[in-house]
Amino acid sequence: MLIGVKKEKDTAEGIARRQAMGQSYRAIVRRQFRKNRMAVWSLRLLYLLLFIALTADFIANERPLYCKIDGETHFPIFKQYAVSLGLSSWEARFFQKGWREHDYDKVIWAPIPYSATTIDRRNNNYKAPGSEQDVDSARFRHWLGTDQLGRDVAAGMISGTRIAMLVGVVSMSIAALIGIFFGALAGYFGDDRFQASRIGLVLNILGILASIFYGFTARAYAFSEGTFSVELLKSLGITVAIMALMNLLARALKRIPSLGKPVTLPLDIMVMRLIEVISSIPGLLLVLSIVAVIEHSSIFSVMAIIGLIRWTGIARFIRAELLRIRSLEYIEAAQALGFSEWRIIFRHAIPNALTPVLITIAFGVASAILLEAFLSFLSVGVPPEQVTWGSLLRLARSQASAWWLAVFPGFAIFITVTIFNLLGEGLTDALDPRLRN
Amino acid sequence: MLQYLLKRILIFIPTLLVISLLAFGLSKIAPGDPVELKLRGFGPDQQNLANAERIYRETADFLGLNKPVFYVGLTSAAYPDTLYNILRRDHRENLSKLIAQYGNWKPISDYYQQLLKMNYTLQEVSARQESNTFRSVRSSLQQLFLSHADVRITSLLEEAETQALQDSSLQAALLGPIRELRSSYETIKTEARPDLLYLPDLKWYGLDNQYHNWLTGFLQLDFGISYYDSRPVADKMKDALFWTVLINGIAILLAYMLSIPLGVFSAIWKGSVFDRASTIVLFILYSLPSFWIGTMLLVFFTTPEYGMDWFPSIGLGNLPPEASFWSRFWETASHLGLPVFCLAYGALAFISRQMRGGMLNVIRQDYIRTAWAKGLSSRAVIWKHAFRNSLFPIITMFANIFPAVFAGSVAIEVIFNIPGMGKLTIDAINQRDWPVVYTVLMLSAILTMAGILIADVLYAWADPRVSYSRNKR
Repeated sequence: MLIGVKKEKDTAEGIARRQAMGQSYRAIVRRQFRKNRMAVWSLRLLYLLLFIALTADFIANERPLYCKIDGETHFPIFKQYAVSLGLSSWEARFFQKGWREHDYDKVIWAPIPYSATTIDRRNNNYKAPGSEQDVDSARFRHWLGTDQLGRDVAAGMISGTRIAMLVGVVSMSIAALIGIFFGALAGYFGDDRFQASRIGLVLNILGILASIFYGFTARAYAFSEGTFSVELLKSLGITVAIMALMNLLARALKRIPSLGKPVTLPLDIMVMRLIEVISSIPGLLLVLSIVAVIEHSSIFSVMAIIGLIRWTGIARFIRAELLRIRSLEYIEAAQALGFSEWRIIFRHAIPNALTPVLITIAFGVASAILLEAFLSFLSVGVPPEQVTWGSLLRLARSQASAWWLAVFPGFAIFITVTIFNLLGEGLTDALDPRLRN
Repeated sequence: MLQYLLKRILIFIPTLLVISLLAFGLSKIAPGDPVELKLRGFGPDQQNLANAERIYRETADFLGLNKPVFYVGLTSAAYPDTLYNILRRDHRENLSKLIAQYGNWKPISDYYQQLLKMNYTLQEVSARQESNTFRSVRSSLQQLFLSHADVRITSLLEEAETQALQDSSLQAALLGPIRELRSSYETIKTEARPDLLYLPDLKWYGLDNQYHNWLTGFLQLDFGISYYDSRPVADKMKDALFWTVLINGIAILLAYMLSIPLGVFSAIWKGSVFDRASTIVLFILYSLPSFWIGTMLLVFFTTPEYGMDWFPSIGLGNLPPEASFWSRFWETASHLGLPVFCLAYGALAFISRQMRGGMLNVIRQDYIRTAWAKGLSSRAVIWKHAFRNSLFPIITMFANIFPAVFAGSVAIEVIFNIPGMGKLTIDAINQRDWPVVYTVLMLSAILTMAGILIADVLYAWADPRVSYSRNKR
């Protein structure tokens, strides 16, 4: 009898708990989001685009997926990864002839049997999608036509999808990292809560100057001679080492009363001024001039620059959220428990502020993709051999009769931008408390 | 209010300083030598070195490039504070690479002087003799100006020496200088001071530097001279500004005229077929990238020969005879149709979405219900009560319009080849015509900030509840 009662109580509690969980902020947002059909469809389309971007090598590739020559079995697309990682190398026969010229016993081609850079000389000079093409069979048709060199537009579209997704993800990740960091600093500490010891402040400023000198100025020659990314890592290592040393020194010297006197830094004002400065710079012009300056610029430098400029919106959102959160009881509780400020910020405050930031990120991805497409449209910064939606669209300008070069890539840009805009709108609505119920 | 305005304008200063530093820094990092760019076309002939050097120096003086770059410089102690006196950028960079390896300026400078002397010796010899051996000796010696790696320099010097030995007349003229050059290069290596490279040194160059001169010029509205075609930047911009203001003005006017009624009515009839249809259409318009639509219009509605290159870009200042004016007017209008459309539809979508949102917010308010309850005509309620109060989002958008007009729609101007600000900027960036780029960046930043400020002031003016004087900001 007693046991039965207890059980009943348990289940009642369980239901209550589940109901409470169902009412959690994220669950409400998710439910509200699902009501928006357009946004849900956009999300599904986004999954599709991400799938295409991830499997681009298997969708459009001049190499066969699987082939059998003289009794040997090969998986050239898989092998391509191993070769580019330096783990393997191609057999001599694959150097001697093009992929299509071998006598295969058995072969399975990728759905689009061309890479974005494959030049089909038999079908060069703008072959229209519906026109007569010089191909072996319908399997090798250029379904979306070719450009002047004879590159397959469909394969270019697939590679463009990968680039666009990469631009969106990488540039917004950089922007999110910077934005969340600065926004959290400004919002959590405000103008009154950040205190540093005098000596700490002085040593940190000295440390920054020293790392600029030893990390970058003194290493300018190494930068010009070596690989940029390797040298950058080394320089960052030097910077981290110097800053760590300075902070250790500061910790030791803090004990001296006159040096350890606390100074309050108005972080909020400082960060907001920085944001103001950055957002009054005309972004497009700045990106254009930076990208044009970089020698050997690649798609990654374009992404990095977009990320470095577009973080202000994210920082504003996080700041506003943290200004609210920092006076909530659970933060006070965490402070009372003696957790370090950084732990409270990163483990307790930021996770609760992240959901609204998704809105800015969604819109940010849309504008980053648009910006990259525009840059490749102008052929600024993106290397000429890189096939992107923007670069395909550019080709349409030089050949007005090639309508397929204008229609397909432009439509892809449009759809992608729309998806992210709809996602942003859906999130805005889902997060708006006035629209609930 | 006045205090608030002053405070806001004071904030302009650091922002502008940051932007000017950014633009200036970029121009100094950018590859390419502005003097070479300026001299392109009528470059000095290689036969007369003294003349070539004089022309180079004069051009550098003219462009103000013979001054130190900035007020201060943080370099290592190995670098001399007079490195900027070496005017040729490629030589200067090569020398600083040598310093970065050996850290001793004195012998490096001696070596450089030897190289320059050698160049004159080569010129003298070439007046007397032009053999193949001589040419190869000359080319390996001249490559030394741009070589900094030890292996490369040594092999070039050895090559020059062995080749000079092959020809008796060359041997007499060149062997001595080559040997001297070699020994001075050896001195660099033996007297290396790599320790100096890790000693920071803050150098003060004084006020007479390139940045200061440019900035003071800019503040006196002297925007400098284009590196590319030597025209004053202000002149170039004046021409471009006309077209940009023209097409953007028409587009924005059109967009406002259409979007305000559109936004108002779709808010009033919220949920109706009209509202839903217009919302969807406007959303699509909003997401359509204008450079795609521009390209599509270009591909489908124009011939491949279509372009505006032949179009008079001087403006309408020189008044032609009456008939010609009208024909020119219609021609202009027909050519501006597509670009104006491209600029207008995006603005239209944006403004009417804002207008709808603003109107929706207002319609929910109690005083609108009161107005209806009083029995006012719908016209009075909508236009007198609701519309006026829903104008705030429209006002804030003014902030975006200024810089948009100024920087022009880069995409549209490039696609339709309109010589406006956007195209000017893109061309300047591609040609590394930095004075133009600086000016455009600075002016559009100023306009952005001014736009935001004006929007804030208008906001306070339109809504008495917004007060900046009491607000602690």
